[in-house]
Amino acid sequence: MKTNNNLDNFSDIRVENLLTPRFAPATSLEFKAPAPRRHPIWQAVRIGAVAAIVAVAVVIGISSVQTSTAREVVERAMTQLLESDNCLVQFTANVAESKHTQDELYDLDFEGTPTQGTVEIRKEGPKVKMAIKWQDKVRSMELYDGESYRRYQNGQLVLERPHGGIDLSPLATIDKLKEYALLTGILLKFREEGDMILVSTRGDKVGIVARFSKSKGRLLGAECSGLYNGQQVTVLTIDQIDFDVPPTE
Amino acid sequence: MKLTTENKQLTRLAELMQSERDHLFQYACYRLGSATEADDVVQDLYLRLSKQGARLSEIEDLKGYIYRSLTNSCASALRSRRQFATTETLDTLSSDDLAPQDFEQEFRLIERLMALLPDEQSEVIRLRIYGGRQFDEIASICNIPLTTAKSRFRYGINKLREALEKRGLI
Repeated sequence: MKTNNNLDNFSDIRVENLLTPRFAPATSLEFKAPAPRRHPIWQAVRIGAVAAIVAVAVVIGISSVQTSTAREVVERAMTQLLESDNCLVQFTANVAESKHTQDELYDLDFEGTPTQGTVEIRKEGPKVKMAIKWQDKVRSMELYDGESYRRYQNGQLVLERPHGGIDLSPLATIDKLKEYALLTGILLKFREEGDMILVSTRGDKVGIVARFSKSKGRLLGAECSGLYNGQQVTVLTIDQIDFDVPPTE
Repeated sequence: MKLTTENKQLTRLAELMQSERDHLFQYACYRLGSATEADDVVQDLYLRLSKQGARLSEIEDLKGYIYRSLTNSCASALRSRRQFATTETLDTLSSDDLAPQDFEQEFRLIERLMALLPDEQSEVIRLRIYGGRQFDEIASICNIPLTTAKSRFRYGINKLREALEKRGLI
């Protein structure tokens, strides 16, 4: 059945002109169907042992934010990360040996072993290198140098594979970060509650929350948690973030 | 098999959201007055709908469903702000206000005009002008007859015209 969508007979062009948007902002949101996911939980933190920590570091790592809005805080944190020559993140995570990829030693796991570690991101010219050092029994260390992935245990090289390195460009701006999050099925929220800035992600079952005090100008805490057996379980805690520290290697 | 159906539905959803992106975003922008918040609401909507997976196939008019969900999401976001109707009226409107210079001024003008109307009329106008919907689509989104969708629009526009004329603004 045809319908008449024409309004010429009873509309007022002067009023419609007043209502017609002339300064409508544009959006850069992109919607793409996600690839099939076999492990939705870990897809949400596929940013897992590596990039989850980077992402959290990005949104919370800042030293002073006296009068900023949540958005400004995040933008500044990103700029700081991208402009810093290096960044060191100390964390504790519940991990189990990865069953999904050879390019990561551990997966976050609700039933995993609590293990401390550090992530160091270092920029050398256009290259971004990353090292993850685990305080596990064999002193594991993973190195991504832009060409290869190397794994050391007790100081000995045990695995070497080609690897494209770490791409920080998806984190360059909030819009890009949102696109990136959207592709990985994560919703990023920036919210202010009094003195607190809350930056949170919510994936299928796992979320990351970072809390930051504006007046104190410091990170109060950040964690990654999810629902497991009906209970909220924390699988990753960010203990400290430092920028422009001397290389530890 | 289930995965195939789910992928097909998620692809359908993504393509529809992408093709309607600008209208969805514009509707949310002029409802909420904030591009950032509009981005969040549209993104949140997409993620919520994505989670329905294969069940999306049970929705006959997915586009209408998306817009209906968006209007609900925006209403919910406005409620959570605890900031309801604008307190500015047309009585303080000047001719300068009728020629906004940026999005913020434009949004305030539109809000002042919309505040004159009952919700059901302003909603139809918003869906028509900012959501870019045809009247038959609006009828489906609002679950009203086509004639009602048109008359709500007409009554709303007439009411605004009368109010503006009375004050010598048009």
